[in-house]
Amino acid sequence: MRSGVVYTETVVHLAPERFAADVPYQVAIVKLKDGGRVTVRIEGDRVAIDDAVVESRIHEGISFFRKSDSTDQ
Amino acid sequence: MRPVAIVGAGKTPFGAFPDLDLRALAVVAGQKTLENAGLEPGAIESFYLGNFAGPEFTSQNHLAPYISSALGMAGIPATRFEAACASSGAAFFQAFMGVASGIYDIVMVVGVEKMTCQPTPRVTEILSGAGDCATEVKAGSTFPSLFAMIARRHMHDFGTTREHLSAVAVKNHANGALNPDAQMRKVITLEQAMNARPIAEPLNLYDCSLISDGAAAVVLCAADRAREFSDRPVKILGVAQASDWVALDQKPDITTFAAVRGAAKKAYEMAGLAPGDIQFAELHDCFTIAEIVAMEDLGFVERGRGGFFTAEGGTRRDGPMPINASGGLKSKGHPVGATGVAQICDLVQQIRCEAGERQLQRHSVGLAQNLGGSGATCVVTILGDA
Repeated sequence: MRSGVVYTETVVHLAPERFAADVPYQVAIVKLKDGGRVTVRIEGDRVAIDDAVVESRIHEGISFFRKSDSTDQ
Repeated sequence: MRPVAIVGAGKTPFGAFPDLDLRALAVVAGQKTLENAGLEPGAIESFYLGNFAGPEFTSQNHLAPYISSALGMAGIPATRFEAACASSGAAFFQAFMGVASGIYDIVMVVGVEKMTCQPTPRVTEILSGAGDCATEVKAGSTFPSLFAMIARRHMHDFGTTREHLSAVAVKNHANGALNPDAQMRKVITLEQAMNARPIAEPLNLYDCSLISDGAAAVVLCAADRAREFSDRPVKILGVAQASDWVALDQKPDITTFAAVRGAAKKAYEMAGLAPGDIQFAELHDCFTIAEIVAMEDLGFVERGRGGFFTAEGGTRRDGPMPINASGGLKSKGHPVGATGVAQICDLVQQIRCEAGERQLQRHSVGLAQNLGGSGATCVVTILGDA
Protein backbone atom coordinates (compact mmCIF):
# COMPACT_ATOMS: atom_id res chain seq x y z
CA MET A 1 0.00 0.00 0.00
CA ARG A 2 1.16 3.52 -0.72
CA SER A 3 2.28 5.82 2.07
CA GLY A 4 3.34 9.41 2.49
CA VAL A 5 2.79 12.64 4.41
CA VAL A 6 -0.08 15.11 4.34
CA TYR A 7 0.75 18.18 2.22
CA THR A 8 -2.58 19.87 2.91
CA GLU A 9 -6.09 18.91 4.02
CA THR A 10 -9.65 20.09 4.57
CA VAL A 11 -12.84 18.82 6.17
CA VAL A 12 -15.77 19.15 3.74
CA HIS A 13 -19.16 20.16 5.17
CA LEU A 14 -21.05 21.02 1.97
CA ALA A 15 -20.87 18.41 -0.78
CA PRO A 16 -22.61 17.47 -4.01
CA GLU A 17 -25.49 15.00 -3.67
CA ARG A 18 -23.38 11.90 -4.38
CA PHE A 19 -21.18 12.63 -1.33
CA ALA A 20 -23.89 14.16 0.88
CA ALA A 21 -24.16 11.04 3.05
CA ASP A 22 -20.41 11.21 3.86
CA VAL A 23 -20.43 14.78 5.24
CA PRO A 24 -18.35 15.85 7.13
CA TYR A 25 -15.42 14.07 5.47
CA GLN A 26 -11.74 14.85 5.16
CA VAL A 27 -9.87 15.24 1.87
CA ALA A 28 -6.10 15.60 1.69
CA ILE A 29 -3.31 15.96 -0.83
CA VAL A 30 -0.70 13.38 0.11
CA LYS A 31 2.95 13.65 -0.87
CA LEU A 32 3.77 10.02 -1.64
CA LYS A 33 6.91 8.40 -0.33
CA ASP A 34 7.64 7.07 -3.82
CA GLY A 35 7.15 10.48 -5.42
CA GLY A 36 4.22 12.45 -6.73
CA ARG A 37 1.11 13.79 -5.07
CA VAL A 38 -2.40 12.42 -4.96
CA THR A 39 -5.75 13.74 -3.70
CA VAL A 40 -7.32 11.19 -1.34
CA ARG A 41 -10.06 10.65 1.21
CA ILE A 42 -9.02 10.29 4.86
CA GLU A 43 -10.74 7.77 7.16
CA GLY A 44 -10.32 7.21 10.87
CA ASP A 45 -8.65 9.98 12.88
CA ARG A 46 -8.40 13.42 11.36
CA VAL A 47 -4.98 14.31 10.02
CA ALA A 48 -2.97 17.54 9.83
CA ILE A 49 -0.17 18.82 7.59
CA ASP A 50 3.01 16.69 7.92
CA ASP A 51 1.18 13.71 9.47
CA ALA A 52 2.30 10.31 8.17
CA VAL A 53 -0.48 8.43 6.36
CA VAL A 54 -0.89 5.07 4.67
CA GLU A 55 -3.38 3.83 2.08
CA SER A 56 -6.04 1.70 3.77
CA ARG A 57 -8.28 0.73 0.85
CA ILE A 58 -9.51 1.67 -2.59
CA HIS A 59 -13.29 1.79 -2.86
CA GLU A 60 -15.14 2.61 -6.12
CA GLY A 61 -11.95 4.14 -7.49
CA ILE A 62 -11.41 6.40 -4.49
CA SER A 63 -8.20 6.03 -2.47
CA PHE A 64 -8.69 6.07 1.29
CA PHE A 65 -5.72 6.82 3.54
CA ARG A 66 -5.48 6.74 7.32
CA LYS A 67 -3.06 8.06 9.91
CA SER A 68 0.01 5.88 10.17
CA ASP A 69 1.71 4.88 13.42
CA SER A 70 4.98 4.58 11.60
CA THR A 71 7.30 7.57 11.63
CA ASP A 72 9.41 5.87 8.99
CA GLN A 73 8.53 8.10 6.06
CA MET B 1 -0.34 45.34 -32.96
CA ARG B 2 -2.38 48.54 -32.65
CA PRO B 3 -3.78 50.16 -29.47
CA VAL B 4 -7.30 49.19 -28.35
CA ALA B 5 -9.80 51.12 -26.20
CA ILE B 6 -13.05 50.36 -24.40
CA VAL B 7 -15.83 52.69 -25.57
CA GLY B 8 -18.84 51.15 -23.83
CA ALA B 9 -19.53 49.14 -20.69
CA GLY B 10 -22.69 47.88 -19.01
CA LYS B 11 -24.00 45.13 -16.79
CA THR B 12 -27.08 43.80 -15.07
CA PRO B 13 -27.26 43.90 -11.29
CA PHE B 14 -26.09 40.57 -9.82
CA GLY B 15 -28.50 38.45 -7.79
CA ALA B 16 -31.28 35.89 -8.17
CA PHE B 17 -33.60 36.85 -11.02
CA PRO B 18 -36.23 34.13 -11.57
CA ASP B 19 -37.88 36.13 -14.37
CA LEU B 20 -34.73 36.58 -16.47
CA ASP B 21 -33.32 33.59 -18.35
CA LEU B 22 -29.70 33.32 -19.53
CA ARG B 23 -30.34 35.05 -22.87
CA ALA B 24 -32.46 37.82 -21.34
CA LEU B 25 -29.64 38.65 -18.89
CA ALA B 26 -27.06 38.78 -21.69
CA VAL B 27 -29.32 40.92 -23.89
CA VAL B 28 -29.93 43.45 -21.11
CA ALA B 29 -26.16 43.85 -20.56
CA GLY B 30 -25.46 44.01 -24.30
CA GLN B 31 -28.12 46.65 -24.94
CA LYS B 32 -26.94 48.79 -22.01
CA THR B 33 -23.43 48.63 -23.44
CA LEU B 34 -24.46 49.58 -26.97
CA GLU B 35 -26.35 52.53 -25.49
CA ASN B 36 -23.33 53.49 -23.40
CA ALA B 37 -21.18 53.53 -26.55
CA GLY B 38 -23.87 55.24 -28.66
CA LEU B 39 -23.70 52.38 -31.16
CA GLU B 40 -26.26 50.47 -33.23
CA PRO B 41 -25.97 46.64 -33.21
CA GLY B 42 -25.02 46.75 -36.90
CA ALA B 43 -21.72 48.45 -36.03
CA ILE B 44 -20.42 45.36 -34.19
CA GLU B 45 -18.15 43.22 -36.40
CA SER B 46 -17.57 40.21 -34.13
CA PHE B 47 -19.20 38.85 -30.96
CA TYR B 48 -17.31 37.10 -28.14
CA LEU B 49 -19.22 35.32 -25.38
CA GLY B 50 -17.79 34.21 -22.04
CA ASN B 51 -19.89 31.52 -20.36
CA PHE B 52 -18.82 28.65 -18.14
CA ALA B 53 -21.69 26.20 -17.87
CA GLY B 54 -24.83 27.47 -19.60
CA PRO B 55 -25.57 24.02 -21.04
CA GLU B 56 -25.36 22.39 -17.57
CA PHE B 57 -27.29 25.13 -15.76
CA THR B 58 -29.99 25.75 -18.40
CA SER B 59 -29.78 22.93 -21.02
CA GLN B 60 -29.23 25.53 -23.76
CA ASN B 61 -26.12 25.19 -25.90
CA HIS B 62 -24.81 27.05 -28.99
CA LEU B 63 -25.03 30.17 -26.89
CA ALA B 64 -23.06 32.82 -28.79
CA PRO B 65 -25.29 33.15 -31.89
CA TYR B 66 -28.32 32.46 -29.67
CA ILE B 67 -27.51 35.68 -27.82
CA SER B 68 -25.92 37.81 -30.56
CA SER B 69 -28.91 37.32 -32.88
CA ALA B 70 -31.26 38.47 -30.13
CA LEU B 71 -29.09 41.59 -29.86
CA GLY B 72 -29.63 42.29 -33.57
CA MET B 73 -26.21 41.03 -34.68
CA ALA B 74 -27.11 38.00 -36.82
CA GLY B 75 -24.52 37.52 -39.55
CA ILE B 76 -21.26 38.31 -37.76
CA PRO B 77 -18.90 35.71 -36.21
CA ALA B 78 -20.22 34.75 -32.76
CA THR B 79 -18.26 32.38 -30.54
CA ARG B 80 -18.43 31.17 -26.94
CA PHE B 81 -15.28 30.86 -24.81
CA GLU B 82 -15.10 28.57 -21.78
CA ALA B 83 -12.33 28.80 -19.19
CA ALA B 84 -14.23 28.10 -15.96
CA CYS B 85 -14.53 31.31 -13.89
CA ALA B 86 -12.16 33.06 -16.32
CA SER B 87 -14.48 32.44 -19.30
CA SER B 88 -15.25 36.08 -20.02
CA GLY B 89 -11.67 37.15 -19.28
CA ALA B 90 -10.64 34.69 -21.99
CA ALA B 91 -13.31 36.04 -24.35
CA PHE B 92 -12.09 39.58 -23.64
CA PHE B 93 -8.48 38.57 -24.45
CA GLN B 94 -9.59 37.10 -27.82
CA ALA B 95 -11.67 40.20 -28.57
CA PHE B 96 -8.68 42.40 -27.81
CA MET B 97 -6.57 40.38 -30.28
CA GLY B 98 -9.28 40.68 -32.94
CA VAL B 99 -9.03 44.47 -32.81
CA ALA B 100 -5.31 44.77 -32.04
CA SER B 101 -4.50 42.61 -35.08
CA GLY B 102 -6.44 44.94 -37.37
CA ILE B 103 -9.04 42.32 -38.39
CA TYR B 104 -11.90 44.21 -36.71
CA ASP B 105 -12.44 47.83 -35.65
CA ILE B 106 -15.40 47.33 -33.27
CA VAL B 107 -16.31 44.17 -31.33
CA MET B 108 -18.48 43.22 -28.36
CA VAL B 109 -17.69 40.91 -25.44
CA VAL B 110 -20.48 39.62 -23.21
CA GLY B 111 -20.09 37.45 -20.11
CA VAL B 112 -23.12 35.72 -18.63
CA GLU B 113 -24.10 32.99 -16.17
CA LYS B 114 -27.51 31.86 -14.96
CA MET B 115 -26.99 29.80 -11.78
CA THR B 116 -29.89 30.24 -9.38
CA CYS B 117 -32.16 27.99 -11.45
CA GLN B 118 -30.42 24.95 -9.83
CA PRO B 119 -30.37 23.85 -6.17
CA THR B 120 -27.08 24.44 -4.26
CA PRO B 121 -25.83 20.79 -4.27
CA ARG B 122 -26.29 20.70 -8.07
CA VAL B 123 -24.53 24.08 -8.42
CA THR B 124 -21.63 22.68 -6.37
CA GLU B 125 -21.50 19.66 -8.69
CA ILE B 126 -21.54 21.76 -11.89
CA LEU B 127 -18.78 24.00 -10.53
CA SER B 128 -16.74 20.88 -9.69
CA GLY B 129 -16.50 20.28 -13.43
CA ALA B 130 -13.83 23.00 -13.47
CA GLY B 131 -11.59 20.66 -11.46
CA ASP B 132 -10.01 17.36 -12.52
CA CYS B 133 -13.00 15.02 -12.46
CA ALA B 134 -10.94 11.81 -12.71
CA THR B 135 -8.83 12.56 -9.62
CA GLU B 136 -9.51 15.38 -7.15
CA VAL B 137 -13.26 15.65 -7.79
CA LYS B 138 -13.69 11.87 -7.67
CA ALA B 139 -12.03 11.85 -4.23
CA GLY B 140 -14.66 14.27 -2.94
CA SER B 141 -13.12 17.70 -3.60
CA THR B 142 -15.46 20.61 -4.15
CA PHE B 143 -14.33 24.09 -5.16
CA PRO B 144 -14.53 25.42 -1.61
CA SER B 145 -12.44 22.41 -0.51
CA LEU B 146 -9.70 23.07 -3.10
CA PHE B 147 -9.35 26.65 -1.89
CA ALA B 148 -9.60 25.44 1.71
CA MET B 149 -6.55 23.25 1.07
CA ILE B 150 -4.74 26.28 -0.38
CA ALA B 151 -5.70 28.27 2.74
CA ARG B 152 -4.46 25.52 5.09
CA ARG B 153 -1.07 25.39 3.38
CA HIS B 154 -0.80 29.22 3.21
CA MET B 155 -1.54 29.39 6.94
CA HIS B 156 1.05 26.68 7.61
CA ASP B 157 3.80 28.25 5.48
CA PHE B 158 3.29 31.96 6.19
CA GLY B 159 1.34 32.34 9.44
CA THR B 160 -1.80 33.59 7.71
CA THR B 161 -4.66 33.43 10.24
CA ARG B 162 -8.39 32.77 10.35
CA GLU B 163 -8.77 36.48 11.19
CA HIS B 164 -6.84 37.50 8.05
CA LEU B 165 -9.28 35.53 5.87
CA SER B 166 -12.25 37.19 7.55
CA ALA B 167 -10.66 40.63 7.13
CA VAL B 168 -11.00 40.13 3.35
CA ALA B 169 -14.71 39.30 3.72
CA VAL B 170 -15.41 42.23 6.05
CA LYS B 171 -13.67 44.71 3.72
CA ASN B 172 -15.40 43.43 0.57
CA HIS B 173 -18.82 43.48 2.21
CA ALA B 174 -18.21 47.07 3.39
CA ASN B 175 -17.48 48.03 -0.23
CA GLY B 176 -20.35 46.02 -1.70
CA ALA B 177 -22.81 47.63 0.70
CA LEU B 178 -22.23 50.87 -1.28
CA ASN B 179 -22.70 49.19 -4.69
CA PRO B 180 -26.29 49.43 -5.97
CA ASP B 181 -25.66 46.49 -8.34
CA ALA B 182 -24.24 44.15 -5.67
CA GLN B 183 -26.09 40.98 -4.67
CA MET B 184 -25.37 41.11 -0.94
CA ARG B 185 -25.35 44.76 0.18
CA LYS B 186 -24.70 43.92 3.78
CA VAL B 187 -21.99 45.10 6.15
CA ILE B 188 -20.65 42.24 8.29
CA THR B 189 -18.57 42.33 11.48
CA LEU B 190 -15.29 40.48 11.98
CA GLU B 191 -17.02 38.37 14.63
CA GLN B 192 -19.82 37.35 12.21
CA ALA B 193 -17.28 36.56 9.50
CA MET B 194 -15.18 34.39 11.81
CA ASN B 195 -18.06 32.42 13.31
CA ALA B 196 -20.14 31.52 10.25
CA ARG B 197 -20.95 27.87 9.59
CA PRO B 198 -18.10 25.81 8.10
CA ILE B 199 -18.19 24.94 4.37
CA ALA B 200 -14.74 23.33 3.95
CA GLU B 201 -12.42 23.92 6.91
CA PRO B 202 -10.86 26.43 7.44
CA LEU B 203 -13.28 28.22 5.07
CA ASN B 204 -16.75 29.16 6.27
CA LEU B 205 -19.81 30.63 4.60
CA TYR B 206 -18.40 34.19 4.60
CA ASP B 207 -15.18 33.07 2.90
CA CYS B 208 -17.16 31.94 -0.15
CA SER B 209 -18.51 33.99 -3.03
CA LEU B 210 -22.16 33.83 -3.98
CA ILE B 211 -24.34 31.85 -6.38
CA SER B 212 -25.58 34.46 -8.82
CA ASP B 213 -27.32 35.36 -12.04
CA GLY B 214 -25.84 38.21 -14.05
CA ALA B 215 -24.27 39.52 -17.23
CA ALA B 216 -21.73 42.16 -18.19
CA ALA B 217 -20.55 43.55 -21.53
CA VAL B 218 -18.01 45.86 -23.11
CA VAL B 219 -17.39 47.24 -26.59
CA LEU B 220 -13.77 47.36 -27.77
CA CYS B 221 -12.63 49.64 -30.55
CA ALA B 222 -9.42 50.59 -32.36
CA ALA B 223 -7.99 53.38 -30.19
CA ASP B 224 -7.69 55.81 -33.11
CA ARG B 225 -11.46 55.62 -33.62
CA ALA B 226 -12.45 55.63 -29.95
CA ARG B 227 -13.39 59.33 -29.78
CA GLU B 228 -16.05 58.74 -32.46
CA PHE B 229 -18.02 56.78 -29.88
CA SER B 230 -17.03 57.98 -26.44
CA ASP B 231 -15.92 61.18 -24.70
CA ARG B 232 -14.22 59.02 -22.13
CA PRO B 233 -12.62 56.01 -23.80
CA VAL B 234 -10.53 53.80 -21.54
CA LYS B 235 -7.29 52.43 -22.93
CA ILE B 236 -6.26 48.74 -22.65
CA LEU B 237 -2.66 49.19 -21.48
CA GLY B 238 -1.93 45.49 -21.14
CA VAL B 239 -3.76 42.15 -21.25
CA ALA B 240 -2.44 38.60 -21.06
CA GLN B 241 -3.63 35.07 -20.40
CA ALA B 242 -1.74 32.09 -18.96
CA SER B 243 -2.52 28.49 -18.00
CA ASP B 244 -1.48 25.73 -15.61
CA TRP B 245 -2.53 22.20 -14.57
CA VAL B 246 -6.23 21.86 -13.71
CA ALA B 247 -5.64 19.49 -10.77
CA LEU B 248 -4.42 21.19 -7.60
CA ASP B 249 -2.27 18.18 -6.69
CA GLN B 250 -0.19 18.66 -9.87
CA LYS B 251 1.01 22.12 -8.81
CA PRO B 252 4.38 22.03 -7.03
CA ASP B 253 3.40 24.85 -4.62
CA ILE B 254 -0.29 25.60 -4.06
CA THR B 255 0.33 28.85 -2.14
CA THR B 256 1.07 30.63 -5.42
CA PHE B 257 -0.55 30.48 -8.86
CA ALA B 258 1.89 30.12 -11.76
CA ALA B 259 -0.81 31.22 -14.21
CA VAL B 260 -1.38 34.46 -12.29
CA ARG B 261 2.33 35.23 -12.19
CA GLY B 262 2.67 34.35 -15.88
CA ALA B 263 -0.25 36.50 -17.05
CA ALA B 264 0.79 39.37 -14.77
CA LYS B 265 4.37 39.40 -16.07
CA LYS B 266 3.19 39.66 -19.68
CA ALA B 267 0.52 42.26 -18.93
CA TYR B 268 2.98 44.44 -16.99
CA GLU B 269 5.48 44.14 -19.87
CA MET B 270 2.87 45.11 -22.46
CA ALA B 271 1.83 48.11 -20.36
CA GLY B 272 5.42 49.09 -19.51
CA LEU B 273 4.34 49.22 -15.87
CA ALA B 274 5.40 47.67 -12.56
CA PRO B 275 3.14 46.50 -9.70
CA GLY B 276 3.84 49.78 -7.87
CA ASP B 277 2.28 51.75 -10.75
CA ILE B 278 -1.13 50.11 -10.28
CA GLN B 279 -3.45 52.41 -8.32
CA PHE B 280 -6.36 50.04 -7.66
CA ALA B 281 -7.42 46.50 -8.54
CA GLU B 282 -10.36 44.14 -8.93
CA LEU B 283 -9.12 40.68 -7.89
CA HIS B 284 -10.79 37.29 -8.21
CA ASP B 285 -11.97 36.69 -4.62
CA CYS B 286 -14.00 33.55 -5.33
CA PHE B 287 -12.81 32.69 -1.80
CA THR B 288 -11.12 35.02 0.67
CA ILE B 289 -7.81 33.15 0.40
CA ALA B 290 -7.83 33.70 -3.39
CA GLU B 291 -7.65 37.48 -2.91
CA ILE B 292 -4.71 37.07 -0.51
CA VAL B 293 -2.78 34.81 -2.90
CA ALA B 294 -3.59 37.04 -5.91
CA MET B 295 -2.25 40.23 -4.34
CA GLU B 296 0.99 38.37 -3.62
CA ASP B 297 1.28 36.86 -7.11
CA LEU B 298 0.61 40.25 -8.71
CA GLY B 299 3.49 41.76 -6.72
CA PHE B 300 1.41 44.20 -4.64
CA VAL B 301 2.89 42.70 -1.46
CA GLU B 302 5.65 40.22 -0.67
CA ARG B 303 4.80 36.50 -0.66
CA GLY B 304 3.06 35.50 2.52
CA ARG B 305 2.16 39.09 3.47
CA GLY B 306 -1.30 39.31 1.84
CA GLY B 307 -3.25 38.40 4.95
CA PHE B 308 -1.26 40.73 7.20
CA PHE B 309 -1.58 43.61 4.68
CA THR B 310 -5.36 43.09 4.53
CA ALA B 311 -5.74 43.00 8.32
CA GLU B 312 -3.73 46.26 8.54
CA GLY B 313 -6.27 47.94 6.21
CA GLY B 314 -3.90 48.11 3.23
CA THR B 315 -6.58 47.06 0.73
CA ARG B 316 -9.45 49.24 1.96
CA ARG B 317 -10.75 52.06 -0.24
CA ASP B 318 -8.65 54.52 1.78
CA GLY B 319 -5.62 52.20 1.92
CA PRO B 320 -2.46 52.31 -0.21
CA MET B 321 -3.75 49.58 -2.61
CA PRO B 322 -7.56 49.50 -2.78
CA ILE B 323 -8.74 46.03 -3.80
CA ASN B 324 -12.29 45.17 -4.84
CA ALA B 325 -13.86 48.57 -4.25
CA SER B 326 -16.85 47.05 -6.08
CA GLY B 327 -17.41 44.54 -3.27
CA GLY B 328 -15.67 41.78 -5.21
CA LEU B 329 -17.14 38.41 -6.04
CA LYS B 330 -17.74 38.04 -2.31
CA SER B 331 -20.40 40.75 -2.00
CA LYS B 332 -21.12 41.87 -5.57
CA GLY B 333 -21.87 38.28 -6.63
CA HIS B 334 -20.17 35.72 -8.89
CA PRO B 335 -22.12 34.66 -11.97
CA VAL B 336 -19.00 32.82 -13.06
CA GLY B 337 -19.06 33.45 -16.81
CA ALA B 338 -19.85 37.14 -16.28
CA THR B 339 -17.18 37.85 -13.69
CA GLY B 340 -14.19 38.65 -15.93
CA VAL B 341 -16.02 41.28 -17.96
CA ALA B 342 -17.79 42.59 -14.85
CA GLN B 343 -14.37 43.28 -13.30
CA ILE B 344 -13.44 45.23 -16.47
CA CYS B 345 -16.72 47.21 -16.15
CA ASP B 346 -15.80 48.02 -12.54
CA LEU B 347 -12.39 49.34 -13.61
CA VAL B 348 -14.01 51.42 -16.39
CA GLN B 349 -16.46 52.88 -13.89
CA GLN B 350 -13.64 53.96 -11.54
CA ILE B 351 -11.46 55.35 -14.35
CA ARG B 352 -14.43 57.36 -15.67
CA CYS B 353 -15.15 58.62 -12.14
CA GLU B 354 -18.64 57.08 -12.16
CA ALA B 355 -18.36 54.91 -9.04
CA GLY B 356 -20.44 57.14 -6.76
CA GLU B 357 -19.81 56.55 -3.06
CA ARG B 358 -17.14 53.96 -3.89
CA GLN B 359 -15.13 56.35 -6.08
CA LEU B 360 -11.43 56.05 -5.33
CA GLN B 361 -9.11 59.04 -5.12
CA ARG B 362 -6.43 57.47 -7.32
CA HIS B 363 -8.25 55.93 -10.27
CA SER B 364 -6.29 56.41 -13.48
CA VAL B 365 -4.53 52.97 -13.68
CA GLY B 366 -6.43 49.84 -12.61
CA LEU B 367 -5.79 46.09 -12.87
CA ALA B 368 -8.26 43.19 -13.11
CA GLN B 369 -7.29 39.58 -12.36
CA ASN B 370 -9.73 36.85 -13.45
CA LEU B 371 -8.97 33.29 -12.28
CA GLY B 372 -10.34 30.03 -13.67
CA GLY B 373 -10.67 26.93 -11.48
CA SER B 374 -8.00 26.51 -8.83
CA GLY B 375 -5.59 28.50 -10.99
CA ALA B 376 -5.56 26.69 -14.35
CA THR B 377 -6.44 29.86 -16.28
CA CYS B 378 -5.69 33.46 -15.47
CA VAL B 379 -6.33 36.66 -17.41
CA VAL B 380 -4.77 39.91 -16.20
CA THR B 381 -5.90 43.22 -17.71
CA ILE B 382 -4.51 46.70 -17.04
CA LEU B 383 -6.64 49.70 -18.02
CA GLY B 384 -5.86 53.40 -17.96
CA ASP B 385 -7.08 56.86 -18.84
CA ALA B 386 -6.97 57.29 -22.63
